[in-house]
This record gives sequence, C-alpha cells and structure tokens, in this order.
Amino acid sequence: MTGPDAPPGPTVIVRVVARLLLAPSVVVAVALIVKGYTAVGDGFAAGMVVGLAVALNAVALGARRAEAALPVLRHAPYAAVGGALLALASGFFPVALGEPVFSHRPGPDEKVVSVGKAELMTAVSFDVGIFLLVVGVVTVLVHQLAEPDQEPQA
Amino acid sequence: MTALALSLLVPWAVGLLLVVLDGRRRTVGWLGVVTLGATVAVLGVLAADVLRGGTVAFVTGGWPVGVGILLRADALGVTFALSSCFVLLAAACAETLLGVGQRTLPGLLVLLAAGLNGLFLTGDVFNFYVFFEMSMIAAYVLTGYGGGRAQLRAAVIFASVNLLGSFIFLVAVAGTYRVTGTLAMTDVAERIREVPPNAAVAVAVGFFVAFSVKLGLFPFHYWLPTVYADTRPAVAAVLSGAVANIGAYGLLRFGPGVFAEQLRLSATVLIALGAASIIYGGVLAVARHRPAEMLAYSAIGQVGYVLVAVGVGGPVGFAAAVLYSVVNALNKALLFLTSAVRGPLVAGAFVVGALSVAGVPPAVGFVGKLAVFRTAVDARSPTLVVLLVVGSALSLLYLFLIYQREFWAEEDREAVTDAEVRDAAPARGVSRRVPVVVLAVLLLAGGVWPEPLAAVSGAAADVLTGTANGAGP
Repeated sequence: MTGPDAPPGPTVIVRVVARLLLAPSVVVAVALIVKGYTAVGDGFAAGMVVGLAVALNAVALGARRAEAALPVLRHAPYAAVGGALLALASGFFPVALGEPVFSHRPGPDEKVVSVGKAELMTAVSFDVGIFLLVVGVVTVLVHQLAEPDQEPQA
Repeated sequence: MTALALSLLVPWAVGLLLVVLDGRRRTVGWLGVVTLGATVAVLGVLAADVLRGGTVAFVTGGWPVGVGILLRADALGVTFALSSCFVLLAAACAETLLGVGQRTLPGLLVLLAAGLNGLFLTGDVFNFYVFFEMSMIAAYVLTGYGGGRAQLRAAVIFASVNLLGSFIFLVAVAGTYRVTGTLAMTDVAERIREVPPNAAVAVAVGFFVAFSVKLGLFPFHYWLPTVYADTRPAVAAVLSGAVANIGAYGLLRFGPGVFAEQLRLSATVLIALGAASIIYGGVLAVARHRPAEMLAYSAIGQVGYVLVAVGVGGPVGFAAAVLYSVVNALNKALLFLTSAVRGPLVAGAFVVGALSVAGVPPAVGFVGKLAVFRTAVDARSPTLVVLLVVGSALSLLYLFLIYQREFWAEEDREAVTDAEVRDAAPARGVSRRVPVVVLAVLLLAGGVWPEPLAAVSGAAADVLTGTANGAGP
C-alpha cells in the first residue's frame, strides 16, 4: 500500500463487493445457525462464512483499513475466547446436575421454546459459541498474517 | 463421572481464560500453577475411583453406546494423565519461579494439560485425534517460547515433523474406519480380527509410525535433538516428560489394546528398533558436549526401553512399559529442569535424576530398570539382558560427564558456549530450586516405597491384557 489515491491492490469492484458482501454473509450465518439441527447448518459453517467475508475485506482493503472500517474486529480475541467458554459451558453444565457432559436441555421429547424458527436450547448456545470462536480465530489469523506483532528479522 | 468431566473442564476453561490474561504477571503464572495443581488433584480422585472400582466411563449426551463419544478412564489412561499433568505442574512451577517471559505461557501449559487429559481419557479413536491435535498445537507454540532464533528454529522443526506425524495418524484413523466401520476402540479391537491381514497391518504400521515420531524412537528421532536442546529447559521438560507420553501411551493403547495380533507379528521388529534406540541414544549422548543435547540423545535411548518392553509384551512387559514411561517422564522433567538452576541442592537433585536414569537404587529408576530386566529375562534372551546392561552403563557414563562439567567445573562454564542469556547465568535463588528438589525427593521416595507405582502399572497392564485375552484367539 503506497499512496491513498491509487492503491495498487484490487480494483474498485472487488472493494465494493467485499463491503457489500459483509451484511449478507452475517445474515446467511444467522440462518445457518437457526436452520441447523433439522436442516443443514451449524455454528462452524456459519463461522466460516463470516470469517471468509472478513478475510475478503482484508484482501480488498488491506488489513489496516479493513480494521479501521470495522472497529468491531478489534474485539476478535475476546470473541474467540468468549465463544470457546460459552461452548464449554453449554457442553459441561450437566456435570453440575450429575448427568453426562453434552446432555442438552431441553432433552429429547421435551417441549422447546422457540422464537420464530430459532429454538432456544443448549445445543444452539453451543453452536453460537463455536460460531464466535471460528470468527474470532479467523479474524486474529488474518490480522496476524497481514501485520505480525514482531518485526521479522532480516 | 464428575471427576472425569472435571479433569477436562478445569484445565480447559481456566486455560482459555489464562491465554487472554498477561502471563508475565506473577498472579497469572501462579493461577496457572494452581489450576494444574487442581487438575492433578481431580485426577488423583479419579485414579482412586478407577483403582478401587474399575473403569469409569460414560457416553457424552447420554446417547447409546456406539452413537455418542465414549469418555473412559481406566488404570492405563489415568496413570499417564496423572504423570503428565504432574510434569506440567512441576514445569509451570519452575518457570513461574524464574519469571515467565511470554504472556501466553501459563495458558498454553494449562491447555496442554486439557488436551493430554482428553486423549488419555477417551475411548474413541477420532476423539483421541482431536485432543491429540489440541495438545500438539499448544506444544508447537510452547516450543517457540523464548522467541530467540534457536527457539524459533526448534519450533519450525518440531511443528513440521510432527504435523507430518499427525497426518500419518489421521490417514491411519481414516484407514481404520474404512476397514472396520467403527472408531470406538473396543469395537475396532474386535472387528480388526476379521479384516484382511494386509489392510490391518498397513493401518497398524501407520499408527506405529505416528507414535514413534512423537516419541522420538530411533529411525524417527531426527527432529528430537535440535528441538530438545534449543528450547527453554522448562519447555524441554514438558516436551520430554508430558508430550512424549502421547507416544508411549499410544503405542500401549493401540498396540496391545487394539492391534494385538499385529503387535505379536511385529514383536521382533519392535525389540530390534528399541534396542537400536537404546544403543544409538546412549553412544551419541556420550559423544555430545552441551548438556541439553546429551539429555536429548538420552531421551532417544530411554524410550527404547519402553519399546523393548512393549515388544516382549505379556503382563510383565506391559507393566514394565507403563512403569518405565512414568519413571522416565519424571526423570526427564527433573534433569531438564535442573539445567535452568544452579547450586549444591540442584547438584544433589541432578545426581538423584542421573542415578534414576541409570537405574541405581535407591532412586525410582531402579524399579523401572528392574521391571525391564525382568521382561528381558522372561523373554529368555541373554542378548537383550546384555544390551540393557550396556545401555544403563552408557547412561551412567554420560550423566556423570554432565555432572562433572556442569556442577564440579563450574568456573569452566564459559567453555560451554550458549547463546541463551538466562542459561549462561542460571538462577541461584533458594525458592527457585524448590520444584527440582521436590521432584528429586519424589524420585527417591518412589524408589524406597515402590509398591504404589508397581500396583498402578500392574493394574494398567491388566487393562491391556484383559482386552488382549478377550480379543485374541
């Protein structure tokens, strides 16, 4: 990246498409999580979709400008750890109840509260955790590959 | 069941938190030590349960067997988990006392404990692979700890060779699923008998190569000297005392536990490779000058004993292999940790470790060596007995070479050039020697009162021969 006027990187089309794709990718990710369990979809796939959109933005705009445009990306490490902890909590909470880990609530054949298509159960919170973990890790990876913390020794 | 779940949850959850916090702060370091201590305590409770009441197992989610993933704590797994976590605890303690130099270190050590516990306490081949990768990723990052050129080179070598090993392991897992249609270890052990012999041997060789790379056995050892010699002492202790346990445990779990027939067929090869490891490691260790390098070659030699014991097999051989792995983990942890500190107490601790490696009473290594010798006598092989004696003599020789150079001729230390600033000026504070001294006292106590260790390894061997008898003809 030499000058702000004529960045030698991708063309304006790539940059615009990258920006435009961001919102739909989040929508698709939400759909993948909500749709899961009865149809195709889970937290990992959803996380990969958003992660790819973030990576495309970094390719199109350069990592620094992508992060300036999307300040929320700065919280990626916390999203990754928070997501992993949420997934662990969703998996291991039955230990407190004396049941095997990953026994989900509500259990099989029990009534599930749903908001629209979204079913409120611990399996979903597990997948939300996985989603946050994947997005966080991909964002951190993109950041580190673009601008490593340490200067490489020549 | 609660203890089994907690042994995964405690290090996993706290490890994630610790990775975010700044590990260079003293409190964070100690939090890591406390977590590892709690993990060891939970594993101790689990071990008591297992030894008293037999295998503890449950299927995740309460699914039927064969649908859910089986988590299973038997005597073999618990023994390895306990010794690995103990080594991690000692290394974390030693490094926190010296001052942690990198923010992620405590978190990575604790996450490594979570990965190791997971793979030692699972009854499913693929779940084993997942936890295996989790611990290896933590280990890759740990190898780079220190951030110098030497450490980065070690990390690159370690990661690339072991990624290749992991890939071979994954191919073997896929092959297992292809030929048996299942990934539960007990089912694989049963169905492998109806598999065409060539396919079964191919899969078994894949597992063997993967674990040998991890363990650093003779033809697969090429990565080991550079990595063990160039990493920080605490990391080298973790790699040889905890991560290498994956290889030993894998050989035992997948050898007699799953591929019993194939193991019987290849016994001669295993014994020959083990013997080659013992002699090669011993001879090259004598020829080296840097203590860390000598200890690295010593590690190659020591794992040879485990392979010989596995090759001879039977209740005596497997018990000897378990016993020797545990003893070797403690020995190596002690010896690598001593290279970071100095003083008369440390010299004494080093002597205990050296005697233990050579198998001289009263150190616990004597018990391990005795078990391996018993195995050789049981195999009615004079060659093997002579070889073990030669190996022990070599280890005594190179360890006292180190002792002489490092602890007697201390003013000549400059002759042993070392780029590492902290290695060149080893710490001398009294409190910093505590982990080393505690390990040494433990090795002596284990030698004076070996019954618990012998009983545990016997129970672990019973797990293996139990399945072997059930699955064999």
